[in-house]
Amino acid sequence: MQRESSAGYITRAPRSSGLADVLEILLDRGLVIDAYVRVSLVGIELLTVDLRVVIASVDTYLRFAEAVNRLDLRQVDDSRSVPDLFEKGGEELAETKTKGAVEGGMDAIKEKIGLGGGSDDDDDEDEDKGRSRSGSRSRSNDR
Amino acid sequence: MSRFYLYGITRPREMPQRIADQGVFLIDGEGCAAVVSELEDGPVEATRRNLLAHADVVEQLHQEAVVLPARFGYILESREEALELLELPEIQQLLERHEQTCELTLRGKYEESVLAEVGAGLQPLRDAYRAEPSFEVGIALGEAVGERLAERKARDRSLVLDALSPLVLEVVAGEPAGEFAAFDLALLVDRDAVKSIEAELEGLVARLSPPLHFKLVGPLPPYSFVRLAQPAVA
Repeated sequence: MQRESSAGYITRAPRSSGLADVLEILLDRGLVIDAYVRVSLVGIELLTVDLRVVIASVDTYLRFAEAVNRLDLRQVDDSRSVPDLFEKGGEELAETKTKGAVEGGMDAIKEKIGLGGGSDDDDDEDEDKGRSRSGSRSRSNDR
Repeated sequence: MSRFYLYGITRPREMPQRIADQGVFLIDGEGCAAVVSELEDGPVEATRRNLLAHADVVEQLHQEAVVLPARFGYILESREEALELLELPEIQQLLERHEQTCELTLRGKYEESVLAEVGAGLQPLRDAYRAEPSFEVGIALGEAVGERLAERKARDRSLVLDALSPLVLEVVAGEPAGEFAAFDLALLVDRDAVKSIEAELEGLVARLSPPLHFKLVGPLPPYSFVRLAQPAVA
């Protein structure tokens, strides 16, 4: 269904394939006539809200900071490959690893469902990573 | 009395067998027809199966002729309601407008390596963070990187839109999902222009990659371009 071209920089799909595409492409779009619409939906909240992962901006910034350093080819001092952010000691490393695994899982879900949270306008968000939020970000039909 | 699920509106036509086999049929009006299936009482559930079925029906019909896709979950309570809908003058206008059009969705997404690029001008902050990887310095560096990433997104988005604009009739910009997502665009184009768009993208790839990846989906029915200018009054 999909093919890659130009050395993998263009993914081409002739039709929306899979739930991720369908959610992104057609949910909340399409013909609606206010006077006639009788949209009755069950489950749409579950589908959009529960899988939308909100990433607090603080967490995003810290990951950016780490990534920028990790990706720096000119890096000289590589003695601290895992920055000890919270200066806790030995157990921190294990926790960092677990966190990474969870994050990877979240990314996979987001990728799969095609709905990332983490937009940059979440400045007032300071929820923990991975805790999904209910309500305000839903893309529910509100008519 | 029958209720119907509305997939979209099209011109009167033969239904492809594969769609007819799914219980989908037309309610004909003057020069247009509602694509429906019978519906039991109760709401439409937003399940994977139902969403994919909706997309499948409108996208298959769109391959051969104009379809105005309905929003997912649109229910008609009676045949009369379908006929009233078909009589709206806006429906005829939309059918004419989209006779030869299709929608392409174009999403742009960076590789993580974009952070190294946008962070290139932040050497003092990076040195500071390396020397003292504290929370405060980390936030300062991350914020600076985030700002530059946002600028980069805006730049690439305009570059793409400028390059494609001669081929595009209308654009709806969605909110890109994810921190590495640069843009999420719905483009209304002539059906004959799809090949040219693809060629133009190849050229853009040469100018923008790495690390920008494109995903182009379509030709699709005009999902994002069937809003009525003036909602009908009850």
